Amino acid sequence: MMGEVIVSMEHISKSFPGVRALDDVSFELRSGEVMALLGENGAGKSTLMKILSGVYEKDGGTIRIMGREYENLNPKQALDAGVAIIHQELNMCKDLNVSENMFLGREHINGIVLDNAEMENTARKYLDELGVDIDPLETVGSLPVSKQQMIEIAKALSVNAKILIMDEPTSALSSREIKELFSIIQRLKSQGCGIVYISHRLEELAHITDRVTIMRDGRYITSGDFDSFTMDEIIANMVGREIKEKFPRIKCTRGKKVFEVRGLNAGRSVRDVSFSLHEGEIVGFAGLMGAGRTETTRAIFGVDKKESGTIILDDKEVRIENPMDAIRAGIVLAPEDRKKDGLCTKLTIRENVALPNLDMICGRDGVINRKKETQMCEEAIRNLSIKTPGIDIDAGSLSGGNQQKVVVGKWLARKSRVVIFDEPTRGIDVGAKVEIYHIMNRLKEQGIAVMFISSEMPEVMGIADRIIVMCDGRITGELDAETATQNEILKYATQFESRL
Amino acid sequence: MYRARKTGLIKKIMRIKGMGAALTAFAGLVVIYVAFGIMNPMVFSGQNILNLLRSMSKYLLIGIGQSYVMITGNIDLSIGSVAGMSAMMTATLMTLGVNPLLAMLITMAVCLTIGFINGVLVGRFKLPPFIATLGTMFIARGAAYIVNGNRNTDNIGVVLGKDAADSFQNFFYYGKILGLFNTFWIAFVIFLVFYFFLSKTRTGRHIYAIGSNVEAAKLSGVDVVKTTVKTYLISEFCGAVVGFILCAQAGMGNMEAGNVYEMYGVAAGVIGGVSPLGGSGILLGTFAGAAVWQTLENGLNMIGAQVGIQRIVIGVMVVAAVLVSVIRNRKD
Ligand SMILES: Nc1ncnc2c1ncn2[C@@H]1O[C@H](COP(=O)(O)OP(=O)(O)OP(=O)(O)O)[C@@H](O)[C@H]1O
Ligand SMILES: [Mg+2]
Repeated sequence: MMGEVIVSMEHISKSFPGVRALDDVSFELRSGEVMALLGENGAGKSTLMKILSGVYEKDGGTIRIMGREYENLNPKQALDAGVAIIHQELNMCKDLNVSENMFLGREHINGIVLDNAEMENTARKYLDELGVDIDPLETVGSLPVSKQQMIEIAKALSVNAKILIMDEPTSALSSREIKELFSIIQRLKSQGCGIVYISHRLEELAHITDRVTIMRDGRYITSGDFDSFTMDEIIANMVGREIKEKFPRIKCTRGKKVFEVRGLNAGRSVRDVSFSLHEGEIVGFAGLMGAGRTETTRAIFGVDKKESGTIILDDKEVRIENPMDAIRAGIVLAPEDRKKDGLCTKLTIRENVALPNLDMICGRDGVINRKKETQMCEEAIRNLSIKTPGIDIDAGSLSGGNQQKVVVGKWLARKSRVVIFDEPTRGIDVGAKVEIYHIMNRLKEQGIAVMFISSEMPEVMGIADRIIVMCDGRITGELDAETATQNEILKYATQFESRL
Repeated sequence: MYRARKTGLIKKIMRIKGMGAALTAFAGLVVIYVAFGIMNPMVFSGQNILNLLRSMSKYLLIGIGQSYVMITGNIDLSIGSVAGMSAMMTATLMTLGVNPLLAMLITMAVCLTIGFINGVLVGRFKLPPFIATLGTMFIARGAAYIVNGNRNTDNIGVVLGKDAADSFQNFFYYGKILGLFNTFWIAFVIFLVFYFFLSKTRTGRHIYAIGSNVEAAKLSGVDVVKTTVKTYLISEFCGAVVGFILCAQAGMGNMEAGNVYEMYGVAAGVIGGVSPLGGSGILLGTFAGAAVWQTLENGLNMIGAQVGIQRIVIGVMVVAAVLVSVIRNRKD
């Protein structure tokens, strides 16, 4: 059954200073379908959807929602027209509680007084529906990212929109939450809701997608039934070339021990963690969200306080009290949350890349050598194929995936002994993922120890040489990537689930 | 699934965000008050308590205005000068024979205009609030000088007559209802109204949301400009009322009235747990903060501390209060 067209956007164009983000793009959504909107980082997917939801004003083109034409929308008008959006980045007021966030901007009132009890009950209803265990009175800032993402989803559901846009909703969710989300999507579909689904996790698409629209470099490329494309065709349309190997593994001989952590304890999420990294190998860290992997890296890097434990680098014990110590010793960390920990979004790409490497590009007098700085940044942009009009634009204006590349790029500019990647491919397109794998491989060849944290099992299994699995703050298993199976990893990753 | 826990009234109150900080400030208030009382028992006298309540009212009002602005993550440096302008303007008008009520209305309109300008500069044109209100601070103080030709005013009764002047002064300062000074009642009623407004209405909710994350608020359809303007209107309203009180107290307009009050407002809020970074704090805390501030001033006076010592003690208190709240937040 084919639903009627509920959104049609035609010849949309949009420019930002120095970038043509959208160039004559057309897009159509029917009721009761899931439309996957696909494209590389910076292709313009988020921009197109932000125009539809009233965040940005278009420069040209027409928008029709439910048959009515709209000149320009603001977020509230879009909502009234039936469009709800879950943005790529979390948009939560951290000081407000869950229910307050869900109803922000459309509070229920009784006369002039807020009807908190009623809003809390409604919030609870939607959270229950999503199968998440969250107290509506909980302050949002104290919840983990995956829960916050579920709240965003519940918030979008609670407006009963006819058009629901999900911009990478799953990049911070655990597999159980993703399953819950998919069943909600199926239900909304059957209720005649049209859903736009943006994701770089292409393997998810088969579960829910009806049609796809593919964009590249701000232009419309093609669209059609999902079944009429093969995955390779989709990828080729996205990146404009063929990608032969999704997980390019290289062979190296395992060399001497470079780095070792013994008996590390830090808070509830890091308990008795011991492991070592050798030359010529990539060690993958698998596990569910909240398994304590990020916390482990933070403790190693000296961001969080260690209660106990020793860190040994090239057979010598090193004291790491703060990130400065770690960087000096030759340990670097590309953190998981790029907006919060990885980037100064108001500084330029140049300044971001240079920041941890100022010791290398400053003269004795502390003056920055502009030429060296430019060289360093241009090299990073080239190595990682960062899509940007120049090095002197704000890091915050890059597309999500390109921001992530800057985070990685700023650490690769210096010689290190240990490089820790925490979810380096989150929100990154297929082509860029492969580039990041190549970078890890290059480090591996150079004898640099690589610690690779990822919640996506296929990539851990495809790229790492050895897999360490964590659960509830402890290491629960270690596997050889050659022989490991998904089930085995999952078993270790959920070892303590029943006890939680 | 989550089920609502059965909670007692006390637990429910403690779940109100900012309540912990407010109650801590009240506890601090008791400690400080008792400590001064031990050093000089006159602190406990009924007369002193009455005076304390009256003089803290000015800080409470300024604190309320400043707290509204601080909860959105902004600041209002102009509120003290607005109070001064308000005192000078009402006094000048009254010395010209204008009826007190009309004088106050005119003054209020001018003060609210300053608030509107602040709100538009910060909300609409995105000027850093520190700079925008620094500008209006000088403008308001300048206006306070100019209205009466760079002189303090004469007694407000010279043209109006003693009766009219007395009734104005009694209404705002010297009169009593139920044994407490009117000043306190005025501040208390304003406190209750704005407490309700901030904690129970949609605009109040939006004020917290903006302070917590402007971008998220905007994307949720909150009108950031309007809400910001409202906070500055409230702030300058409070400033204007303080001006009336200062005018009534002195029976004349003083060009330096309300000097550095904006900072007393910041201190009252911060001591009570209102974060200058925005998003948190409740007016009950501001109430406690204003009381702490006034008790310190009063107590130090009563034990005969020099002005210099007073300033230092007060400075230490402000930093200590913020330090405590920062450490408490880190634990959460
Ligand atoms: N606010 C902005 N200011 C300036 N440039 C912007 C802004 N938002 C997006 N851009 C630019 O517009 C282009 C499209 O970005 P957009 O975020 O829509 O990409 P995307 O397809 O969503 O990518 P991703 O998969 O990485 O999220 C990029 O080149 C980006 O740098
Ligand atoms: Mg995007």
